[in-house]
Amino acid sequence: MLQTTFNGIVTGVIMTLPALAVTLLFGVLKFPNFAVGAMMTIAAYMAFALNAQLGWPLLPAAAAASVAMGVLCIGIDHVTFKPLRERGGITLMVASLGLGFILENIARFAYGNSARSFAIELARPFRFADVRMNQEQMITIAVSTAAMIAMWLLLTRSPMGRAMRAVADNPSLALVRGIESPRVIRWAWFIAGVLLAAGGVLIGMDRALEPPMGSNYLISVFAAAILGGLGSPLGAFVGALVIGVVSELSTLVAPPNYRIGVPLCAIAVILIFRPQGLFGQPYIRK
Amino acid sequence: MSNPLRPPAAILSATGLHAGYGAGDIIKGVDAELGTGRIVTIIGPNGSGKSTLIKTLAGLLPARQGEIELEGRRLNDLSAPKRVRAGIAYVPQEYNVFRNLTVLENLKIAREFMGAGRSRERVLDDEVAGLFPELAAHHRTQAGNLSGGQRQMLAFACALTVRPKVLMLDEPSAGLSPKHMSDVFDKVQRVNAIGVSILLVEQNAREALRISHTCIVLAGGRVRAVAPANEVLGMKDLNSLYLGDATLH
Amino acid sequence: MTSYLVLLGIVVCFSAILALALNFQWGLGGMVNFGLTGFYALGAYASALLMLKAGANSFFAVVAAIAVVAAVCAVVAFVTLRVTEEDYFAIVTLGVGEMLRLVALNEDWLTRGALGLTGIPRPFGDVIAPEYYQYFLLALAVVLLAATLWFLGAVARSPFGRLVRAVREDDVVAATLGKNVLWIRVRIFAIGGGIIGLAGSMHGFYYQYIDPTQFSNIVLAYGFMAVIAGGRGAHRGAILGAAAVMVLLEGSRFLKDLVPALDSDQLAAIRIIIIGVGLIALLIWRPQGFLREYRLKVSP
Repeated sequence: MLQTTFNGIVTGVIMTLPALAVTLLFGVLKFPNFAVGAMMTIAAYMAFALNAQLGWPLLPAAAAASVAMGVLCIGIDHVTFKPLRERGGITLMVASLGLGFILENIARFAYGNSARSFAIELARPFRFADVRMNQEQMITIAVSTAAMIAMWLLLTRSPMGRAMRAVADNPSLALVRGIESPRVIRWAWFIAGVLLAAGGVLIGMDRALEPPMGSNYLISVFAAAILGGLGSPLGAFVGALVIGVVSELSTLVAPPNYRIGVPLCAIAVILIFRPQGLFGQPYIRK
Repeated sequence: MSNPLRPPAAILSATGLHAGYGAGDIIKGVDAELGTGRIVTIIGPNGSGKSTLIKTLAGLLPARQGEIELEGRRLNDLSAPKRVRAGIAYVPQEYNVFRNLTVLENLKIAREFMGAGRSRERVLDDEVAGLFPELAAHHRTQAGNLSGGQRQMLAFACALTVRPKVLMLDEPSAGLSPKHMSDVFDKVQRVNAIGVSILLVEQNAREALRISHTCIVLAGGRVRAVAPANEVLGMKDLNSLYLGDATLH
Repeated sequence: MTSYLVLLGIVVCFSAILALALNFQWGLGGMVNFGLTGFYALGAYASALLMLKAGANSFFAVVAAIAVVAAVCAVVAFVTLRVTEEDYFAIVTLGVGEMLRLVALNEDWLTRGALGLTGIPRPFGDVIAPEYYQYFLLALAVVLLAATLWFLGAVARSPFGRLVRAVREDDVVAATLGKNVLWIRVRIFAIGGGIIGLAGSMHGFYYQYIDPTQFSNIVLAYGFMAVIAGGRGAHRGAILGAAAVMVLLEGSRFLKDLVPALDSDQLAAIRIIIIGVGLIALLIWRPQGFLREYRLKVSP
């Protein structure tokens, strides 16, 4: 059980970054972006190209892929979501669905369906207090924690972070306080892209690289963001851990294939009874 | 009766303004002027278009027809953030603070994106603090946890953190107790005294008119009358004004 | 060639029925059903299982599929009565659809999991000679499509339909009716669900073989594309839209001949990319966006 809990924590930690991206994008853009799974996939494959094919060590490959993804996301927004900005949540959700298809299948087109792995040295797993851990998991925890702290600092200490929170809180008031929304939106996409890329690389390290790798996490990531409260970064962190741990623990009592039932039920229960999640604010759609 | 002295130049003017939300226009051909250094109050019944007018001036609503000018410069094509930086500050009637941010963060944001450091004077922290002493103790409180009166004050303070040329307030006294109300109007006068021209939209007409120079009467989306505030104050029945029956100069 | 067109026609018909259901739930009821795929699968599996395992005839199987999906949709709508935000409702239905698909994949004892169900009988399959059967199936599909069109139009024009519209447009009416308003949502969603079940069972008749891979989110994309491509004009729209989408789908099959260098995985990927691009392009360039309302005077 301790092992399962630990595995759950690792899963939760991996999900923190994409959950943060989801909550950031929802706050600034006001719609749930279903393409985040595929975005993680594409970024992971970009890192793969640099790492396994061009021979870069994983860290610089991941860093380069993160920046590239950030920029790519700004471009994607400009082409896909900007023309639809005025049209409302459903239209944007459907567009993000289509975008997810496109991105995932670009990966499939380029790399086929078989699983790939990053070129990293295999290190022996070690035991700590009766729990088996490996180096990748330690790296995952370290990277995610660092990213969390960086995000927190960004959102609370920097003007752009404040601006993003302001836009999430009240978009029209933000306008009359001099905040230009296109700039804020660009930054939100860049940061989301970086977070999603990091998440994708961590998933690739934890499991393997294959086209559905990101979409497999989509439901869980959304459950994490919704549980924590859409728009609340702290919520994304807490939500991801809770969903991760509970999902893993559920395999002890239910068939493993239904692991996804946990986030699905969480989504339904929260949206029915407490849509703002744990830490979110009820959003007033004006 | 015409004023023998030349009237002060208008710092903000709207000419033939039309705007609305859906199919029809809510304001239909509005001409309005705010004299430099003046306090002008717009009064009118519910639904007369007062808020719509202010929102259009602020840039939250596009002007379908007509011109808006600030110190002679045409504003129609400027987005709301650009208008704010050009010197028009706006305090909406509701949802006028960022509830999820602290008081201090609200004040910071109000300054950070104003492109200050160009030709605009910055209001010193002291001046704003001096005008709004009640906010000092609450810097770390979330704006959503403030009382209604305190939120109004915060909204007001945010609009002033970089000294605007024009301050537009949409029903600043709405929902406030009489004590808070007179506090608000007192502050409006003090802000005016440091050189900010003020455009006020108000339901509590008499209170606002007492501190104003000029009154604009808006009804049914049109300007019914423009007159010195004390003249309007002297009238017993404001309703006839709304209907355009009374004659004023 | 004729044979190919006939088969295409059948697919267009039940795709159009699916699009009509989506449009009905969304346009009239304001409920966007992102779980469309899962309910569609439910209809297909219910119908197939009843015929294969319980020996039911096709008519009974269709009716049962309609009833099953309608009932499940009613339950979903009831449980989510409090979720009035469009976006949140869509997410919940997405989750439900995923759950249904998961059950189809994992409950081997019932659905044979990934292996799927084969040998699904067709209506009157024994009676009509094989060389004429496809024409019969096409005729049947057209009849069912027409019936669906008529039925949904009738509901929209009925006092019930007017009530639904009144409630959605006027908060005062909604407030006066109170609790009853919520039941309206349930009924609309259930009616739409029944139609989805019908389309699902037709899917089974056409392919005679169903497995979970047929029910991916691509189906959802097709549904939306048909609804968007159709634009205004509830009826003609969905049919035109479904036809356009199917042409796109079928047309991309010919890619294989054009570019022999690509393997099947890559071709499959390109087809899905085309679908995604098509979906986004329709959203951007179809200014009417989604059809939002059934008008009383619906153009035929």
